[in-house]
Amino acid sequence: MIDPVTLAVVNNAFVNICREMGITMIRTAFSPIFNEGLDFSCVLFDRRGNMIGQAEFCPAQIAASLFIVRWTLEELGVDSFEPGDVVLHNDPYRGGAHIPEHAVIRPVFHEEQLFGFVANVGHLAEIGGKAVGSFAADATEVFQEGLRIPPVKIVKRDVNDMDLWRLIMANHRTPRNTWGDINAQIGSLRVAERRVIELLDRFGRDFIDSAAEELMDYSERWMRAEIEAIPDGAYAFTERMEDDGVVDEPVTFHVTVTVKGDELIVDWTGTDPQVRGPINATYGVTAGATYNAVFHLTDHHIPKNSGAYRPIRIIAPPGSAVNVVYPGPSVGGNTETHPKLADMVIAALAPALPDRVAAAEGGTACNFLFGGIHPKTGDYYANYHLEGGGWGAKSYDDGNDAIIVKNGNCRNTPVEIFETRFPLRVVEYSLIEGSGGPGRMRGGLGTRRILRVQEGAEVTCNALFDRTKEGFGAFGLEGGGTGGRGAILVKRKGETEFRTFSEVFGTTSSSKFTNIMLTGGDEVLIHSPGGGGYGDPRDRERERVARDLFERFVTPEQARAVYGWDGA
Amino acid sequence: MGHWREQTPAVWETVVTPCDCCGQVVAKRLWIVEVDGGERRFCSSECEDLYREYVLPRKTADR
Repeated sequence: MIDPVTLAVVNNAFVNICREMGITMIRTAFSPIFNEGLDFSCVLFDRRGNMIGQAEFCPAQIAASLFIVRWTLEELGVDSFEPGDVVLHNDPYRGGAHIPEHAVIRPVFHEEQLFGFVANVGHLAEIGGKAVGSFAADATEVFQEGLRIPPVKIVKRDVNDMDLWRLIMANHRTPRNTWGDINAQIGSLRVAERRVIELLDRFGRDFIDSAAEELMDYSERWMRAEIEAIPDGAYAFTERMEDDGVVDEPVTFHVTVTVKGDELIVDWTGTDPQVRGPINATYGVTAGATYNAVFHLTDHHIPKNSGAYRPIRIIAPPGSAVNVVYPGPSVGGNTETHPKLADMVIAALAPALPDRVAAAEGGTACNFLFGGIHPKTGDYYANYHLEGGGWGAKSYDDGNDAIIVKNGNCRNTPVEIFETRFPLRVVEYSLIEGSGGPGRMRGGLGTRRILRVQEGAEVTCNALFDRTKEGFGAFGLEGGGTGGRGAILVKRKGETEFRTFSEVFGTTSSSKFTNIMLTGGDEVLIHSPGGGGYGDPRDRERERVARDLFERFVTPEQARAVYGWDGA
Repeated sequence: MGHWREQTPAVWETVVTPCDCCGQVVAKRLWIVEVDGGERRFCSSECEDLYREYVLPRKTADR
């Protein structure tokens, strides 16, 4: 048995290797989605496919990597790996979260023996398909969403398979970025491989193997103790999404969380069948959302490795909106469905854990994708823009403002970078007064952004939003109110009013559409939703209401009518 | 008593098989069991246990 101090040293070494991979990505990737948005994750695995290390990256990708790596090892066979190989994989039906997310996996050999694998999962901003940015909000099958790649070796013994590279390049709209971004991912694997070998040299391979096993067992014991502290029982919750982008009808999700001793069974039976549009979740997304929720509700110090996941059993019926089957579309399942599924598990457990849960967050990444020929360079560009919204209030504090959905843990792109790279100007970026769900603790605020297309530019855009319709806002808990709704509106050059894309362009859904052409002077307004409130707003401390009024976080009308503010 | 069945898909077979209990896709080996006179395919024997202890009683109750 290894002493706790040394175990902590090894665990921190695993975490720091993942962090250093991340820094490599930030410094070497070509696209803002990586070096500004941080939409990637870096993970370590042992040779059996157990996750032994991760860092503070994207929860959805980290969870999906559990399935992606295991699938890849089973499909290709562990013995097929040689030093210097790199496998590329983005198949949503083989453990992936959605098709833009590309995993690269490299074996680590030490003294000619396989120790394990290093992996990097990253969201490429453009991978072909029917819509620029590969986020086709009206896709009805996977083939419209981009180039699907099962596990294949893109690098063999440190030599690029250029035939494969050329095939990929020919199917992406911005191949230079693809080249730079995937090579940044591969570069991060080389850094990790070097650091893992240094660790093995320092401690010895047998010792690190034992330490990894002990760390997983330790995490499992800790997670079981956390679950055991939750009263046994079956806890259920139901939530709806406004539409799937193709059929203008709500989609219903249902979960039953059964706490049985030191195990959780999270059963998604009762969710609607798989839908026509792309808000279906893959198994990896549903599992990732479940784990994400459980990690929000348990001690955050538990080392995050495969051991921590063992006591959590998941049932996601194939062919339902929580487990899409071939050839159903799923690109929006990761950004729109994951945060709602995670919030559902959290809300289901509210009666058992009232001081650990939070009300719902904005729950949409406000995906706005655009591209075209840049008027200054003549080159094709594409960008994936995502927006932070309000997070849900807790029993003990207000929700955070303007935070990217909880599947992502990403950042938005700074205005300066955005305007340097793309032919749009940011006219306004602000918090939306009154958008937080009212409560004893208030939901976080959503944001308002106005983008204007530069004169001389043509921009083809797509959007995949949710929570824009009445009755679909982020729910509150314990008497807390619903968060403000999201919106994506357009104002053509010369017009004075913003209107929905359905009104202006006749799209089926006003929040999910594809391939709309905007020209110079046109403006797009993006509202991200606010988070739900917690508790009765009339019980809110008067000092907090006064501060909210001063900061213009609530409107004077809201303060009077909802919070009972009388100016005292 | 179940047994393992190796999957050997042809190159044009790109559709994957999900576990009858958890729904997770199975890459290579399916755990095959007869339940209620029908064949069930699981990703592991643990999922067979979960199916018998959790899923089946609920299905029976729903009927």
